[in-house]
Amino acid sequence: MSAGWLIRRLLLVVYTVLVVSVLVFAITQVLPADAAVTLLGENATPEALAAVRDRLGLNDPVWLQYWRWLTHAVAGDFGLSMRTGQPVAPMMLVALSRSLLLALLSILLMLAIAVPLGLWAALRQGRAADLLTGLVSYIGVSVPEFVTATVLLMLLADWLQWLPATGYVPPSEDLWDSLAHLALPVITVSVIMVAHVSRMVRSETIDVLHSDYIRAARLKGLPERAVLLHHTLRNALLPVITIVALDVGYLLGGIIVVEEIFAIPGIGRQLIVAITARDLPAIQAGALIMAMTYAIVSTLADIAYALLDRRIRYD
Amino acid sequence: MSAVLSVEAYSLDYRLRQGTARVLDGVNITIGRGEVVGLVGESGSGKSSLAWAIMRHLPRNAVEAGGALRLGGLDLRGLDAAGVQAVRGRRIGMVFQDPSTALNPTLRLGEQVMEVLIRHRGLTRPEARDAAEAALTEVELRDPAALMRRYPHEASGGEKQRVVIATAFATQPELILFDEPTTALDVITGARILELFARLREHTGVAALYISHDLGLVSRVADRVSVLRRGRIVEEGTPAQVFRAPAHDYTRGLVAAVPRPERRLVADAPGSATVLAADALSVRYGRRRLFRPPPPPATEAVTLAVREGEILGVVGESGSGKSSLARGLTGLASFGGAVQAAGRRLDRPGAMDRAYRRAVQIVFQHPDSSLNPRMRIGEILSRPLRLHGGATTEIPALLEQVRLPPDYARKYPHQLSGGEKQRVAIARAFAARPSIVICDEITASLDVSVQAQVIELLLALRRQHGTAYLFITHDLNLIRQIAHRIAVMQRGRLVDLREAAAIDAPDAHPYTRALIAASPTPVG
Repeated sequence: MSAGWLIRRLLLVVYTVLVVSVLVFAITQVLPADAAVTLLGENATPEALAAVRDRLGLNDPVWLQYWRWLTHAVAGDFGLSMRTGQPVAPMMLVALSRSLLLALLSILLMLAIAVPLGLWAALRQGRAADLLTGLVSYIGVSVPEFVTATVLLMLLADWLQWLPATGYVPPSEDLWDSLAHLALPVITVSVIMVAHVSRMVRSETIDVLHSDYIRAARLKGLPERAVLLHHTLRNALLPVITIVALDVGYLLGGIIVVEEIFAIPGIGRQLIVAITARDLPAIQAGALIMAMTYAIVSTLADIAYALLDRRIRYD
Repeated sequence: MSAVLSVEAYSLDYRLRQGTARVLDGVNITIGRGEVVGLVGESGSGKSSLAWAIMRHLPRNAVEAGGALRLGGLDLRGLDAAGVQAVRGRRIGMVFQDPSTALNPTLRLGEQVMEVLIRHRGLTRPEARDAAEAALTEVELRDPAALMRRYPHEASGGEKQRVVIATAFATQPELILFDEPTTALDVITGARILELFARLREHTGVAALYISHDLGLVSRVADRVSVLRRGRIVEEGTPAQVFRAPAHDYTRGLVAAVPRPERRLVADAPGSATVLAADALSVRYGRRRLFRPPPPPATEAVTLAVREGEILGVVGESGSGKSSLARGLTGLASFGGAVQAAGRRLDRPGAMDRAYRRAVQIVFQHPDSSLNPRMRIGEILSRPLRLHGGATTEIPALLEQVRLPPDYARKYPHQLSGGEKQRVAIARAFAARPSIVICDEITASLDVSVQAQVIELLLALRRQHGTAYLFITHDLNLIRQIAHRIAVMQRGRLVDLREAAAIDAPDAHPYTRALIAASPTPVG
């Protein structure tokens, strides 16, 4: 990995975000939403609407509006929410931090389950244990997330009363209460993700176990534990990095249902609220922030991959 | 003499769907202290299975059907898992065929030597680091400290094999198993590894079982040789006995199949007209980038001409640009310079028309990857026939030409043996009635006896059709038997081109002389 590659990779992030910004802006332009109408309501006089349009620069050419929006966005100013009148950027970033916390905890829990499970299935390849873990994880991924969420809710919150059912408590307020509130959504999302990651770990581990260098390691008289942990796992887990990076995308945008069920004001939920309220600045900010986060996570995954497998030469 | 290893009447079966197959049948081998025993056999003879049995690393479907394996006084078959781990790497070391797959790609080389020392000699990490460095110095690696910090892909094949050998010797085992340790290396690197083995043997007095399909090579390293055929030892003795006066028919056949430069198989002279010529041909891979020097060409300004009916050998070690030359001549790679054929000058692959492609055919090294696994042999052969104006009714005759039964047309490639598949690839090339066939290491993955049959077939086809061959190989002894002229390539350049009879003349290029010196001299 060279410095040149790193710079090019970061430029690629900028490029990606720029392309997304054009798309986001274009989509919000064709939405059947008039910012002036949204602000003043259906009964506003044409004169008042025209005045607002003029003030917001809605009569300017589209490219000029885009340029104005982009230059402000680069400085962190995405404008004011049409719904609340507050700046949208801080609102969306706070929501993003909640989503990221949920994503991080979910990934940690998922890895803690999926990696040992995949390894275990690989070592018992073709036997009952392998087939059973395969079946269970496929059930986990096939059942819709709202079903999983509801079942877990009924079981852990309603029936056993171990965990609070819904709501969000910031970790800064009360760490334990915060974790207790996050537990159910984290478990729900993990169950969904365990399936493909554990299957991936399984097939990669089987491949690696059949390789010549694992045979060589065993024939060097290394104990099985060292062969597995030192020689096998590292090589088998490399592709998992890429999968986990893709999962972050899913966790940011795809778990709106989970956020909704457990009443977590994450970025997905904020975006839905913004769309229903035709809150254009909020939609733009939310979409762009999500794209940017995703691009950054992908880059981090590439860097981690290159650091762990030195055969990968980016230049 | 107390035996280090004794294999006594050892038999091994594999359970298969069709029943059990015997892979080793009453095998007896004794290796005394400091002795090197060669085990020679072709693929499928069971030689690797014996190595796995000694290392107690048998596949799940293996069933031991009697006999004993003893290391000194220790009964290897009676060991439990812990006992096996205490023997592997500690009392029996192993050197593998391909060092580039035997080393873990994501661990530093030093780590892979140290772990054995930590495990078997109970050293701490700093102690192991020093001991590993000493072990790497022992195998004559330059700057072992720096090498230890490198990853396998950052070392050459020869360096990697030295690391593997150092690992095997580092615990001072009583016995080392060598499983074709030079097969994956090029000729000169392989010869250096053998020299190293001879010196290490002298220092350490280690006993070894040296497994190989290469008779010439085993005769140089072993004190005694056992010849394995379909799981049975058919002959044993000193190399001189076995190779000069083979008692068993099979051994006789093997010895006869070993290429010997002095035994010419081609006596005629080629024609005078040129069928194919490379004119300052260069092949370059990789994109040209801004602000970056272009990658060095794989083949640089090679000029040579193949005459009518001529066999022109191209030799050189791996990476010397032999195959890139073939890719350029067939238009599979874009090239600089020009190709000349039938009086025309072609300066890019796009200029190669159907007539050219019909006249210039190629056979690749691995029939497994050059024959479409989902097509029947008949389909594979009908393509070139249709393209070049033949009829599919010629398929039986085509198969007969390469000495395959006509009903093979209905088979799939995976139902054929390696040698048979290569015959199909040859038949495909001849379906177009070419004037020249480029043979790119076509016998490299075949057993010696099969190689001899394929060569015989090529020569028969040439007598019949007058075809010229551009025969690319790393086996100098083989090419000296059949080529009219030999071209020697080194680092992309043509360094020598001379009559085969004059290849060992005193005015030959130093690299040509080094190649000859590194080619194992066949016994007898």
